Amino acid sequence: MTSPKCDLPQGTLDLLILKTVALGPVHGYAIAQRLQQISRDVVQVPGGSLYPALHRLENRKLLVAEWGQTETGRDAKFYRLTRRGRAHLEAGSASWQRLSETVGLILGMAEGGPR
Amino acid sequence: MMLPRWLRRDDREVNLDRELSFHIEEKVAELVRSGVSEEDARRRVRLEFGAAEQVKEECRDVRPAYWAETFLRDIRYAWRNLRRNPGFAAVAIATLALGIGGLTAMFSAFDTILIRPLPYADPNRLVMIWDDLSKSDDRTKSDPAPAEWLEWRRLNTVFTDIASTQPTEATLSGDAAPEQVPARKATGNLWSVLGVKPLIGRVFSEEEDRNGARVAVISYGLWQRRYGGSPDVLGRKIDVNDTPYEVIGVMPHEFYFLPARDIDLWMPASFPAWMRTAFGWHDEQVVARLKTGVTREQAEQSMVALSLQLTAKAFPRPHQTIVTSLREDIAGKTQTALVVLLAASAALLLIACVNLANLLMSRGLARSRELAVRVALGAGRGRLAAQFLTESLVLAGLGALAGLALAMPAMRFLSRLVPETMGPVRLTLDWRVLAFSAASAIAAALAFGLAPALRGSWTGLQHGLREGGRGAAGARSYWFQHSLIVIETALAVMLLTSGGLLLETFRHLQNTDLGVRREKLLTFEIPLFRYKEFHRRDAFLTAVLEKIRAIPGVINAGATSQLPLKPNDLSATFYWIAGQPHESERNQVALIRLVTRDYFPTIGARLREGRFFEESDRHSDAQVAIVNETFANRNFAGRSAIGAQFKFGDTGDKGYWYRIVGVVKKIHEVGMEEAARPAVYLLHGQGNKQLMIPPGGIAVRTAVEPASIVSAIRQAIWSIDKNQPMWRVQTLKDIFAHQLTTPTESTALMGAFALLALLLASIGLYGVLSYAVTQRTSEIGVRIALGATSREILLTFSKRGLVLTVAGLAIGLGLSIVTSRFLSALLYGFRPDLIPTITVVSLILLSVALLACLGPARRASRVDPVIALRSE
Repeated sequence: MTSPKCDLPQGTLDLLILKTVALGPVHGYAIAQRLQQISRDVVQVPGGSLYPALHRLENRKLLVAEWGQTETGRDAKFYRLTRRGRAHLEAGSASWQRLSETVGLILGMAEGGPR
Repeated sequence: MMLPRWLRRDDREVNLDRELSFHIEEKVAELVRSGVSEEDARRRVRLEFGAAEQVKEECRDVRPAYWAETFLRDIRYAWRNLRRNPGFAAVAIATLALGIGGLTAMFSAFDTILIRPLPYADPNRLVMIWDDLSKSDDRTKSDPAPAEWLEWRRLNTVFTDIASTQPTEATLSGDAAPEQVPARKATGNLWSVLGVKPLIGRVFSEEEDRNGARVAVISYGLWQRRYGGSPDVLGRKIDVNDTPYEVIGVMPHEFYFLPARDIDLWMPASFPAWMRTAFGWHDEQVVARLKTGVTREQAEQSMVALSLQLTAKAFPRPHQTIVTSLREDIAGKTQTALVVLLAASAALLLIACVNLANLLMSRGLARSRELAVRVALGAGRGRLAAQFLTESLVLAGLGALAGLALAMPAMRFLSRLVPETMGPVRLTLDWRVLAFSAASAIAAALAFGLAPALRGSWTGLQHGLREGGRGAAGARSYWFQHSLIVIETALAVMLLTSGGLLLETFRHLQNTDLGVRREKLLTFEIPLFRYKEFHRRDAFLTAVLEKIRAIPGVINAGATSQLPLKPNDLSATFYWIAGQPHESERNQVALIRLVTRDYFPTIGARLREGRFFEESDRHSDAQVAIVNETFANRNFAGRSAIGAQFKFGDTGDKGYWYRIVGVVKKIHEVGMEEAARPAVYLLHGQGNKQLMIPPGGIAVRTAVEPASIVSAIRQAIWSIDKNQPMWRVQTLKDIFAHQLTTPTESTALMGAFALLALLLASIGLYGVLSYAVTQRTSEIGVRIALGATSREILLTFSKRGLVLTVAGLAIGLGLSIVTSRFLSALLYGFRPDLIPTITVVSLILLSVALLACLGPARRASRVDPVIALRSE
């Protein structure tokens, strides 16, 4: 755990979860694993925030959950994206893209400005 | 393979559990794979994951309507908790039941009598108009005159219309046994002023009133009673005072109007010509409807101005006018009684709440370990407070249910408070009362639950799993609990003092000198309309009284135009004393009573000076009169009234002069609520033989139980005139007791509230001291081990209780002095001495407090140091 960790901006966790789930039905533990792997340990979601977020998304009907079995044969709750969830994800990613480009643009300005 | 979806509520919890433990297990397994020992792995996972309960709670929190779920769960939890502590639950629920039940019952009476709309159209715009004929500043209502009504109606600018009613007598005969019924004459616009409609038929019109039509509107009660509720009563001719009247309408069951709920017969007033100009004939009751936007105060100002101007012109005695709301006249004294009693019952509920707050506080400290465990498991302060409040709500809810069970019989008792002037209303548990009860339960739950909830959640967080519950929190809660004890003691003292004052007033009223010997005095009335002519009336009365005197067991009998203790008798007659300047006749009014010679000896009146009427007066041309002390004191202060002359009515030479031959001690002619008025007694048969009201009130002094000779008297009357009814047969004692209904009931209720308050306050004191002893057992043990005698310990604890009591007593007495001012309206002009009441209340309170202290204090003094120290 040498990599620096980041605090996630408000609302981004939802987006990351939706994206992870978009790849196919997945259970909570796997979501946490994947987020950690893909971000190379930059994003670490403690269970204390992950599960309330998952349940909130489920209540907002952006996710649906079904009980199924893992490869190792254990019962787990699998989350799947709904149509609304996908729409939310697309809208969310687009606006995130815009925001991050804009932020990048501003932060990338040559210091001192044009001479 | 998919498992079925888990939808049901209970499954949600199971699923949440499964989901989280799956996560933890996977994480542990992963760490173990990477070479960590399982024990280590578990520890790390737990640290990373956080408290499982807290995560669960956060997951639940995002559920829609989770608060309702929590609430239900809290209720179940509270219920289990109460069932585990049945003693506590019983005390708490009983306390609340008394408080909420008392308040609910009082509210139902208050609501029925004072808030609910009266059965008239737009009743808040109805007012009564009275003359104020008193010289003094205190307003005294008197009946207006028909001539005034006519002028007011013509000239006023503040009312849409004004109607008037006047007393009358009615004997129904012909179709069934002769029956005397309460009746009233009314102007033809009464119905439209009140905005009422008959149940069947119609009401009489102004034209019928003007033309003297012989028509009558009857009450629902009379219709059912005498005419079997048959609709063909309409159009029937009935004999009223031997004159045929046509029944044209029946009023609905709920209709009533002043002066009493039981008026059976309404007839057109049809004022004769002389009455239309007689400003001196004060027997009307006038009701008016305010124009939109006019307040009662504005109406009164306008009417005062109008009356002064009017009477100055048309009538040489200008006087003031009083405008009262109809509600005020209907509710009468009951209004004040209800306000005071409602406040008292609210104070009782407040005491109950303070008591419970204290109990819960002690219990909260005792539960601190339970709370600590819940905090450790992740419950937040808000959750704990909510849980505590839910428990309070459950308690209050159960208390309210038990309270309603108490309120129902109490309401039956309270329905006696409904004044005579009010219609046939019953106190019922309807939605208004239920809503009030629910609201007071919630308010109570907040009142007694909030402080313990906040403190409880605070204690829970502070104490953690530390042993014991003393230290700083303990000291602070003592301070808080002690103030609660002082507050409830003060409230109890206030109620006790108020109860004491009412009791003293009640005893004073009971011992009022009526100017009449109350025991074994039978009274009744006989209508004399068949004997209009003086000589026949005189012969009939003389014969009846002689027959009655001949009945074994009868000592004496006499007749009067009005029996004593007549409430709402506001009739007044002007008089003028010989030798006074003519001007001073203004505002000099007196009650007039026409009596037979034996009337005074019969009722047991006492003379201050002079003599009673004598047989020779009947045959003498010299008009004589007897006046009461009030009359004598007002007009002949410091000198004898005997021999003075006065006359009545519209002055002029045709008036009769009367010479005063006697002054009687005050006879309580008017209701107990009213102050004595000047009164003049004339001998039946002297002076103006036409105008005077016939002496139809008979008083009979008996040697035996009065009830036992009623039928003999009826036989005696019938032996002279078999069509002669007698009615309102009552002993004077009954009349008196009846008049004291409101003070009796309010004293009884206030007394009950005060005793309950005392009980609750002493239970509270006992509880707090017991708790302190339990908490400090080990300290006591140490002190005893160090040589304190059990007497010293006893004193320490009793002293603490007594200090609290004395503090509460002092504050309570201060409050009482303030509240006794509000009580004064219920004290019937009587100014009770506060000192004896305060002394008695203090003694009672101190002895009860001493008893409450003694139990716990003795327990403390008997602590065995060895056991006490070991228990630590």
